[in-house]
Amino acid sequence: MAKQLQPAHNRKGILGALALVAVAVGLYWSLVVAPPDAYQGEVQRIMYLHLPSILIAYLSYFLVFIGSGLYLWKREKRDDILAHAAAEIGVLFTALTIIEGSIWGRPTWGVWWTWDARLTLTAILLLIYVGYLMLRSLIEDENRAATAAAVLGIIGFLDIPLIHMSVYWWRTLHQPPSILRPDKLPWENVHPSMLTALTISFVGFLLLYFYLLSLRYRIGEMRQEIQALRLKRGA
Amino acid sequence: MRAWGFVAAAYGIVWGVILLYLYSLKRRYNQAAAKLNELRSDGGQR
Repeated sequence: MAKQLQPAHNRKGILGALALVAVAVGLYWSLVVAPPDAYQGEVQRIMYLHLPSILIAYLSYFLVFIGSGLYLWKREKRDDILAHAAAEIGVLFTALTIIEGSIWGRPTWGVWWTWDARLTLTAILLLIYVGYLMLRSLIEDENRAATAAAVLGIIGFLDIPLIHMSVYWWRTLHQPPSILRPDKLPWENVHPSMLTALTISFVGFLLLYFYLLSLRYRIGEMRQEIQALRLKRGA
Repeated sequence: MRAWGFVAAAYGIVWGVILLYLYSLKRRYNQAAAKLNELRSDGGQR
């Protein structure tokens, strides 16, 4: 058994080490190498956290969407475990995005928080997936909890296109995208060293995300095995 | 607060929270692995 677990354990270790290196290089590039912004000055360096955090949150909710859809379709427990794991990490990164945004907003907008369309929709996204996690813990029957959560996981994902389009549809304090713009390529609008810092930071967050997800997914799998063994013993 | 103060607060909070979450994941992982091993070894004895 120990031999079977070893390759997966090694893969996690390699992923964790790669994430650590990428995060360290990303921090160095973001805080030391990248120049300060011409208008915002040093405080713009929060962007190297803010943008990767929300992109990771979106990726996580996309996996919740996929896992939930597959679970409702095929009723396979592994899809539900994936959706649950991704929702937990998505909540973490959404909360971090809101905190970073608030800290960035104070010196640039003069307020910690405003009921701007993008901010409000992001807060709603957080509440939806906190609700998703609460729903799972409140319903005792595991299959019913998984089904109800899967429905909420799919509905909640619809908030993401609204968040993305909110800066075009409404007059918002939040700026429209600087990098992922439909009319310009990323390197036409951002200094190359800023773009490099952002890319490395994003890769670091992405590797870290998959490391966290692999750990959280395995916890879900082990809990499932524990439950199955207990049931078998009880029968 | 000066500009670097806001940057330090943002980076400090984010990496502090991520490290705390990683610690809680490792703890839950080890607990689940220990429980699973215990149940498996109990099964082997029966």
